[in-house]
Amino acid sequence: MSKHVFQLYINGHSLTSIEAVDTIVKICRENLNGNYQLEIIDIQKDPDKAEEAGIIAIPTLIRMKPVPVSRIIGALNVRSRVLAALGISSMHVQV
Amino acid sequence: MFTPYLHFHNRLRLPMNLQKLETGNASFDHISHGGLPIGRTTLVAGSSGSAKTLFGAQFLALGIQLFNQPGVFVTFEEQVDDIRKNLKSFNWDIDTWEKEGKWIFVDAAPKEEVIIAVGDFDLSAFRIRLESAVRKCKAQRVVIDSIGSIFTQFHEEMHTIRRELIQVALTLSRLGATSIITAERLEEYGKITRFGVEEFLTDNVVILRNVLHNEKRRRTIEILKFRGSNHEKGENPFSINPEKAIVIIPLSAMNLKHVSSNERITSGIPALDEMINGGFYKGSINLVSGAIGAGKTLLVANFINGIRANKERCLLMAFEESCEQLYRNAAGWGIDFNQLEEEGLLKVICIYPEISSLEDHFINIQEVVKNFKPDRIAIDSLSALSRTSGDKGFREFIIAFTSYLKHQEITGMFTSNTPLLAGGTSDTEGNISPITDTIILLRYVEMSGEMQRSIAVLKMRGSRHDSSIRKFSITDQGANIGRHFEGISGILTGNPMLIKLE
Repeated sequence: MSKHVFQLYINGHSLTSIEAVDTIVKICRENLNGNYQLEIIDIQKDPDKAEEAGIIAIPTLIRMKPVPVSRIIGALNVRSRVLAALGISSMHVQV
Repeated sequence: MFTPYLHFHNRLRLPMNLQKLETGNASFDHISHGGLPIGRTTLVAGSSGSAKTLFGAQFLALGIQLFNQPGVFVTFEEQVDDIRKNLKSFNWDIDTWEKEGKWIFVDAAPKEEVIIAVGDFDLSAFRIRLESAVRKCKAQRVVIDSIGSIFTQFHEEMHTIRRELIQVALTLSRLGATSIITAERLEEYGKITRFGVEEFLTDNVVILRNVLHNEKRRRTIEILKFRGSNHEKGENPFSINPEKAIVIIPLSAMNLKHVSSNERITSGIPALDEMINGGFYKGSINLVSGAIGAGKTLLVANFINGIRANKERCLLMAFEESCEQLYRNAAGWGIDFNQLEEEGLLKVICIYPEISSLEDHFINIQEVVKNFKPDRIAIDSLSALSRTSGDKGFREFIIAFTSYLKHQEITGMFTSNTPLLAGGTSDTEGNISPITDTIILLRYVEMSGEMQRSIAVLKMRGSRHDSSIRKFSITDQGANIGRHFEGISGILTGNPMLIKLE
């Protein structure tokens, strides 16, 4: 399985930001078996990065790898949908 | 460009008038009584292709060019590169301004990547980027173009977008920049915007229209409301000029407070001067109506020749004949256009009316007038010019144009073609006659198997004039005005009859 690279843009401690961090961290740990890289960017601290990436909505999760690059916006609170959107099949689920 | 704004500035201190930020587009500042409400957001709504983006970009560009006020351009729709490219043609050096930090793009245009929404989100990233851009360049002007496309980008989350746009509006008002938000509308006359943006951006609304009527495009701008402030009401036509971008032709703002001069100037024909009691009034608008070959251009040529005595300057806009033809005809009547031109007293512009819209003709004429500073202007003929526009557009043009000439104290002579050889009037005249000061009729008179020409002064505002219908002939020496037709009636209706004199 190729390595997953994610960027998650959040806004401080907003409710949706906390939820999104929670979900993606869980998914990474439980579904990707250590084969991932996750960068969490707080736009309050780093607005230029948000500008570069053209982020509008918070939270925004960008899957940089594997290509094609895709974006998921929202609190990521429906885990099964996030998994589907990221193309992580349940085959990798390790209990 | 039109009237000074001084009296508006004086009124700013009254509670009814909130402060305005001069946009730098003189014609818009005129109809808006001074510009956009300062520190507030104005919604600019228009159908697709109505020049919303250009209106916003011009607001920023003029801010930088004329007032050194930096600006932020947010794009939700077009890609930044496309906007840079599209605006290049207007001599706005956006690349340099970007390097100098006077113009910042905030790119919120749709990305190629698929976006999936899972759960709640907000647009705080956008607000923070906007705020950081505004602070970075100390922007006094902000344009968001266009808000409707954010609804299309996040089409499943309409209520979220609404809620978030209210936040954006609040951010803008907190930042204190004067801003424009553009929005799409689907019909030219109907709901203000497609997604009801006006429900939360209600204070100031400007509408741009691009209406196709009788095969002619007609662009107009209307200030629907500026809460707590005055502005001109109704639609004003505008044009997109390759150099000056949006130029509005203010109609409603045309007031009738012109200086009326008592000074007379010669028509170039002594006998005609006599008929009108000493010549045309300076700054008056004079119409010559007649059928083809009745002598209209001859009167124009004499009107031009009349500048010799006092070394006045005259601009001739010829829409029917080529320059060669005109010069030759004038020479045939003993009038030397070449010499007048060499002396710098005459400028002749021969163009086909169809080459541009009426609004553009108006702007071009203004440009020429600004540079050449004529005392007189002759247009031969208005009827040819009227072909380029619908009826309404032409009427508006005439009002704006005559008012403009009066402001500049330029004496005008316009010709108009009548469709019938004898008698009759034309549609062109119906539009123009109420605002002309003098109307001269040139009519054919059919008498005993012979075509004779006649001349009569139908009206002359503020002056006595000869009321007889006189014989008029065209000779090698030019115009010859003779005695009045005795014993004949019905010339104007085209059915002349001999009346037995006792």
